[in-house]
Amino acid sequence: MIRVVGGLALAALAAGLVMAFGVAPRETTQGNVQRIMYLHVPSVWVAYLAFAVVLVASITYLVRRLEAADRLAHASAEVGVLFTGLTIATGSIWGKPTWGTWWTWDARLTSVSILFVMYLGYLLLRGMVEDRERGARYAAVLGIVAAFNIPLVHFSVYWWRTLHQPPSLMKPGPGTMPGVIVAALLVNFAAFSLLYLYFVAKRACLLRREAEAA
Amino acid sequence: MADNWGFVLAAYGLAAVMLLSYWRFLARRERTHTHPARPQRAGPGVSEPLAPTVSEPLAPTSGHPRSKPASRPPLQ
Repeated sequence: MIRVVGGLALAALAAGLVMAFGVAPRETTQGNVQRIMYLHVPSVWVAYLAFAVVLVASITYLVRRLEAADRLAHASAEVGVLFTGLTIATGSIWGKPTWGTWWTWDARLTSVSILFVMYLGYLLLRGMVEDRERGARYAAVLGIVAAFNIPLVHFSVYWWRTLHQPPSLMKPGPGTMPGVIVAALLVNFAAFSLLYLYFVAKRACLLRREAEAA
Repeated sequence: MADNWGFVLAAYGLAAVMLLSYWRFLARRERTHTHPARPQRAGPGVSEPLAPTVSEPLAPTSGHPRSKPASRPPLQ
């Protein structure tokens, strides 16, 4: 089953590349550098998804003490950190030619960095506490607290004056993007979501095996 | 505005490296669990006889009980 999801993710990623480079047109104001968007925006979407799963799995663990929920939270946090790192890196590369700087301490970039560091801390906490049950409990609490940062990241562009543009797709009201760009973005959303599913399923399976072997 | 293909390639290249590295990390861990490391034989091949090894004499174990240091007579 995991292999099937992996195969689907690979096919979807190939389709996403075709859409991003072959089908989507050159953007008029930014030029071809705007094609980084097909990588940057799906990455942050997967990061949001991953941390939302951590929140739900952490609550489930605290309420029902299901070890599977704890493993899911651990796996999802790890993949979320990977995609948040990818978001920050690709955003920085996109920022240099469009804003003229690799990095600036504006509200969106700072809040994403805090999100990244918080979930990195979540993973470190898991490694630091020797008692597995206690570590899982502490991590679940941190997983819930850290999730409050997600709306802060998303709405930071509305609440504060920032260099980062407001969302073009995940916003209320009619869309302003051309249909072909939206289609390319949606294919990449699907591809990254499948990749997330594959990574989390594989990692959670490994964590179960490690727990059984211990 | 200039196309800046270098930045596009850098972003996609970095993404490929990051995702492949994580995939390799998972694959390595999976291999470790599926095939636990077997003790490796260094030196001659399978068909050659193993050279006898000289080992240090072992300290006596349960077969040769030693008296407690406090009960031993002092050295003359």
